[in-house]
Amino acid sequence: MEPAVDVRQLTKVYEGTVRALDGIDLKVETGKVFALLGPNGSGKTTLMRILTTQIDPTSGEAYVLGVNVVSQGAEARKLLGYVPQEMSVWTDISGYENLLIYAKIYGIPPQEREKTIWDALEKMGLKEVANNLVRTYSGGMMRRLEAACAMLIRPKILFLDEPSIGLDPSARRVVWEELTTFKREHGVTIFFNTHYMDEADFYADEIAIIDRGKIVKSGTPEELKRSVGGEVVQFSVKGKSIGEELIDKIRRLSQVKDVIARDSELTVVVQDSETTSPNVIRALEAEGVSIQKISITKPTLDDVFLKYAGTRLETGGGVSEIRQVRRMIRRG
Amino acid sequence: MIMSDSLRSVFAMIELELRRLRHDRTEFYTRAIQPILWLVIYGPVMSAVKAIPTGGVPYTDYITPGLLIQSTTFVAIFYGLTLVFERESGILKKLLVSPPPRYAIVVGKSMSAGVRAIFQALILVPVALLIGVTFVPNVGYFVLALVLISLSAAGFAAFSIIVASLMKTRERMMGIGQAITMPLFFASNALYPVTMMPTVLQWLSIVNPLSHVVGAVRALMITGDLTGLPLDLAAILLFDVIMFAAASVSFRRIIE
Repeated sequence: MEPAVDVRQLTKVYEGTVRALDGIDLKVETGKVFALLGPNGSGKTTLMRILTTQIDPTSGEAYVLGVNVVSQGAEARKLLGYVPQEMSVWTDISGYENLLIYAKIYGIPPQEREKTIWDALEKMGLKEVANNLVRTYSGGMMRRLEAACAMLIRPKILFLDEPSIGLDPSARRVVWEELTTFKREHGVTIFFNTHYMDEADFYADEIAIIDRGKIVKSGTPEELKRSVGGEVVQFSVKGKSIGEELIDKIRRLSQVKDVIARDSELTVVVQDSETTSPNVIRALEAEGVSIQKISITKPTLDDVFLKYAGTRLETGGGVSEIRQVRRMIRRG
Repeated sequence: MIMSDSLRSVFAMIELELRRLRHDRTEFYTRAIQPILWLVIYGPVMSAVKAIPTGGVPYTDYITPGLLIQSTTFVAIFYGLTLVFERESGILKKLLVSPPPRYAIVVGKSMSAGVRAIFQALILVPVALLIGVTFVPNVGYFVLALVLISLSAAGFAAFSIIVASLMKTRERMMGIGQAITMPLFFASNALYPVTMMPTVLQWLSIVNPLSHVVGAVRALMITGDLTGLPLDLAAILLFDVIMFAAASVSFRRIIE
């Protein structure tokens, strides 16, 4: 099947000096939820703006569902929905009117228009406020209206730039629940940018980590976390002390990377705790060791980011985010 | 297909503007204050002085078309401010990612300024009638005059889109807007005949689109003498075509 997004050796240089994208290669499968995870200024937005035909790359090629976004921009625009990072609704007309204007721009046939608009409003929980001016909406309601706007046009692929910036956790959940349903019902591919690890972790099937204009690592959230070097499982045991022989036996179990025993603590480093722990438990119990407590420490995407990009994701960029949120509040 | 796509989005833009106007008319009314003052105070005062040769037309009548157009042109020239706002928010980005060709967005935005201009002009007509301005009693002429006012406002709005795509901030946009509108107005036949101006300004007046609109609207609304109309009409259309084309080209820059 045609990949939803296919990017080859893409670069973008601003004003001859700033390398926003530095040779990106990326493939996103159709029907997946894909997250591009990276700190502010890593090139996420630039890539999305190229994919949505707003700006041209300096070099390289980019395809959306097989359509070249540079040479066939008009074709590509028919396939995609887009929610920019900034507030993107008209605040001086009502929510309903916002959708009506977009329905007309996108040429939704008049006989289907009303139904489609009200469906979208209802799904996003905006039916009651549909005829109020958007100016009176909260930040979360505006974001929901933007999502409704993007769904209204039934795109084949949906691009979301930092969809939950400035949203409280419950508003974020509402937006994502609807996006997930929409994706399931219509088989849409969702491509989103985020600098929140948990958002990528919860909602994405695939993640690519971008840093300073380069994709440093990609895979499913589990693969990424596993690639950090395994998980740590700690057993507190009682009774018989753990002998060298038992330790060797555990060490020989498949997927076990390291075993350290100290007093009544047994620390096992494994590739994947979910599949390996039962084997360790069985081995211990076979020798009559009783387990009191098990704790598993899994690597987070932050560890992943640290490993591949050399920095922590959650640091830096705070000021620009605050400004962003403020801007939305001021507009609201 | 592409043509109907474009037309559809032009109409959607116009509808957006009308809906905005319906929700909030404050700006619409406040924008009318200044031209009303010109009409009610400046007109009668200068009329009494009788210093300006108007070819037998009462002075207030003579300047009425100019004031209608001044009002609509100012609105159009500051229309780019809306775009600067939409640029700062994500609205323009979203519009640019919609299927209609970009020129359709530019023409749509410009035409919606043109439609707004019709209302901005109409609000002054009762005031003019009240102070005794006599219009040519011909509905066809009047409607054509409104169409021309609308078309020229659309042209100036497109011009304003060009300025907005170069300036990109509100403050600069305000400054440039102010710097352009008054000279345009004074270097036109809005308040006095071109023949009264210094030669250089007379030349400027020929290429000043405002002069042609004022000429055409004055002929249709006040004097009924249509001899200069074809030339003025051609000038307005040419102005629109050039502005629409240039704005479509420069529009891309606005989001970069």
